[in-house]
Amino acid sequence: MTDRTENLVLVLPGLLLLALAFFVPIARMLVLSVEGEAGLTLTHFERFLSDPFYLSVLWRTVRLSLIITLICAAIGFPMAYIMAHVGPRLRLWLIVLVILPLMTSVVIRTFGWMVLLGRSGLIPEILRDLGLAERNFAIMRTEAAIVIGMVQVLLPFMTLSILGVITRIDRRLEEAARTMGCSFLGTLRTVVLPLAMPGIVAGSLLVFTLSASSFVTPNLLGGSRIQVLAASIYRSVTQTLDWPFAAAQAVILFAGVLLILIPYAQLTRRADG
Amino acid sequence: MVRAVPAWLRVGAWVFVALTALFLLAPLVVVVGVSVSESQFIAFPPDGLSLRWYREVLQSDRYLASAWISLRVALAVTVTACLIGGAAAIAIHRRTLPFSEAMATFFLSPLVLPTIIYAIGMLMLWSALFGPVSILTLWLGHTAITLPFVVRTTLAVLSESDPFLEEAAKTMGANRLQRLWLVVLPQCLPGLLAGGFFAFNISFDEAVLSLFLRRPDMTTLPVQIYGQLEFSPDPSVAAVSSIMIALTVFLIIVIDRMLGIQKFASN
Amino acid sequence: MADVHLSGITKSFGNVEVLHGISLAVASGEFVSLLGASGCGKTTLLRIVAGLETVTSGSVAIADRDVTALPPERRDIAMMFQSYALLPHLSVFENVRFPLRMRGIGTRAEQHERARDALETVQLAHLGDRRPRQLSGGQQQRVALARAVVSRPKVLLLDEPLSNLDARLREDMQVELIEIHNRLGLTTLFVTHDQDEALSLSDRIVLINQGRIEQMGAPAEIYDRPATAYASNFIGAANLVPASIEDGAGGPLARLEDGQHIALGDQVDERGPVTLALRQEDLALAPADADAGDGLKAQVRTRVFLGARSRYVIALGDTVVRVIDTGRATFRSGDRVRLTIDPERIRVLPR
Repeated sequence: MTDRTENLVLVLPGLLLLALAFFVPIARMLVLSVEGEAGLTLTHFERFLSDPFYLSVLWRTVRLSLIITLICAAIGFPMAYIMAHVGPRLRLWLIVLVILPLMTSVVIRTFGWMVLLGRSGLIPEILRDLGLAERNFAIMRTEAAIVIGMVQVLLPFMTLSILGVITRIDRRLEEAARTMGCSFLGTLRTVVLPLAMPGIVAGSLLVFTLSASSFVTPNLLGGSRIQVLAASIYRSVTQTLDWPFAAAQAVILFAGVLLILIPYAQLTRRADG
Repeated sequence: MVRAVPAWLRVGAWVFVALTALFLLAPLVVVVGVSVSESQFIAFPPDGLSLRWYREVLQSDRYLASAWISLRVALAVTVTACLIGGAAAIAIHRRTLPFSEAMATFFLSPLVLPTIIYAIGMLMLWSALFGPVSILTLWLGHTAITLPFVVRTTLAVLSESDPFLEEAAKTMGANRLQRLWLVVLPQCLPGLLAGGFFAFNISFDEAVLSLFLRRPDMTTLPVQIYGQLEFSPDPSVAAVSSIMIALTVFLIIVIDRMLGIQKFASN
Repeated sequence: MADVHLSGITKSFGNVEVLHGISLAVASGEFVSLLGASGCGKTTLLRIVAGLETVTSGSVAIADRDVTALPPERRDIAMMFQSYALLPHLSVFENVRFPLRMRGIGTRAEQHERARDALETVQLAHLGDRRPRQLSGGQQQRVALARAVVSRPKVLLLDEPLSNLDARLREDMQVELIEIHNRLGLTTLFVTHDQDEALSLSDRIVLINQGRIEQMGAPAEIYDRPATAYASNFIGAANLVPASIEDGAGGPLARLEDGQHIALGDQVDERGPVTLALRQEDLALAPADADAGDGLKAQVRTRVFLGARSRYVIALGDTVVRVIDTGRATFRSGDRVRLTIDPERIRVLPR
């Protein structure tokens, strides 16, 4: 036995599993999206792209994902910076603070928001008590509810991917900038931000992708009237049972994700190398 | 290192961290709060204090059946993901095979491809080939999406180990099997453990794949909760959720005690 | 009879040949250093003896047995790595016992005894229960040494094992290495880029340059009579000064490029263009105005104070020469000086 054979034996089960149980299903879905009763067809795509309802679903998905990504980046960057710069004990606690929600089921976290944002929930009530909202004010079943819930779900991804880059920045660069007369905020802008950019970009792409493809939180917080693409896919699969149409929608989502992931792959490769 | 930072900014930073912490933890605190409520209805802050909903959950066949399915799937997934992923990571790390870099990317790809796209493909393929989904489908699906975590954590610990250990073992007379078992595997162990914990956690908490690959008589715990939330939530959902949160907290503590959570958080 | 015979070893990585036909015989019990700059191929050569690299052509024999095709675990060798390669999950004691376990030497009780003995020879018997990580660099080093000799291998291979230690520890370890080598009589191949280490430890030095043996011989021989410009520059960091040899009145002279000349010893046979190797410590400085006579006129550029000695950088015509001077007189930058050397200490190398 040579080293090569040994390693081939070790890697083969994984390669087979991923190929057969991961990539073949995705291929099957791609095929199904163009399968008609008589050969190949694009009718499912036509149906989606010519229906104003679905176009508005698509637009809402992109718009909400962008908003969610921006908010996550705006909170995630300072959070990661602070985490990288505090003492080790506090950092441990902050990491637990980020990881605990991350490792908790999305369903459970969304449930928490349902309670908080619901008609008699704590947040609308506080807003009403403060006189900031009218009596029949509601957050549940609005796009705002989706954004709030999704930001909480995805913020950990953003924070950790920026943290990974920031901890690797040479601390002396900041000190050097200060000795050269740069203020604290100036250093943050001219030294830390550019160096953290790979993390911010990678985190943003990840958050955008995850946001565009989630349906559990949008379904539960937005309700059935405010649909996003992934929720519409879920509906086509489980309620209308129109699988080819579901596949076509998934392909549209897939294409959008690939458009984003290709630069992401190049970016991470550069960051590794 | 918060030296030389303007005072107003330091205060601002603390306020910011506190608000972010509140935002991140609020839903979890609320769920736990609701679960100890005495009232029939979901309410936060809770009305009264009781453990009646926990008692309810522990006597509910529905929840217990779901928990049993989730547990079985998660354990099977953990074992297979560790075996297959660990072996693959060792082979990739050694770089004797061509395309090692490409293989690493291949193994990590389920991390970045949205689960929903995979879930719908898996459902369609399985139905076309084997008919109705089963616990086996869920097992395969969860193994595929947790494999990257095991591969990644194992590769991470291997890349930190002394690259000459295997060669040293060779010069000391260790044969192929002895090197794998007595030298390489002990180096992988922390990565395998961490990856295994993540795999268990993801499989146990995962909702997307489980929602697509479900049968009325085969619902995992997250799917069970999702169903309740869509229709008629009562505080028993909060009690189940709280138990799952407790399990997550327990896992985090174990990972941190055994391996240090920081090591695996930022890569 | 644990001698090592390498014949015609070549090694290529892809299209790049890094060893170009190396033949070397190491006698049983001999301590041979493979000395050279980084990237010269010395470590590759050692790894070929260990069996960690295959040869492109050529053969390796250990104790008269051709082992070229044998994997490392079936060669009777031990190797010490630069990083020590101690197994982090095993105790110090279990690390030392590991080769015995793997090679199936002795019963369990015998293995324990031998491992304990080996740890005692490096004075670490009391730390057997610790993990390698809990030990200092010098202690880890000694554990690695104990582990390398515990199975009494035919050949001991050392890959720059001292380079991660600080200067003091390194000297202690050199003594320890010599003592263990003498006591066990192991055939030893030692890779290093440090000429002092090679000079002080070896029975024989093999100087390697760009995949070829540049020169080999006993330390004193290599130091006193470097055969090539590379050898004299690498060992002792001699100044290399271009010159040409002429017949003078009292014997051969070397004429430098700026026209000055210097007397040579009698037995110089070369004529025409050559390179003179002038050792820093063989050169002496005198004030230019003192009783004029022999010696080369030169000018001080820089002086670096080294305590008991001073290092001077001297301009000799267009050539820069380094001198280590122990004289009382100190010169300053810009001073004119005379540079003298015992004619017998000048090495004349063909150009």
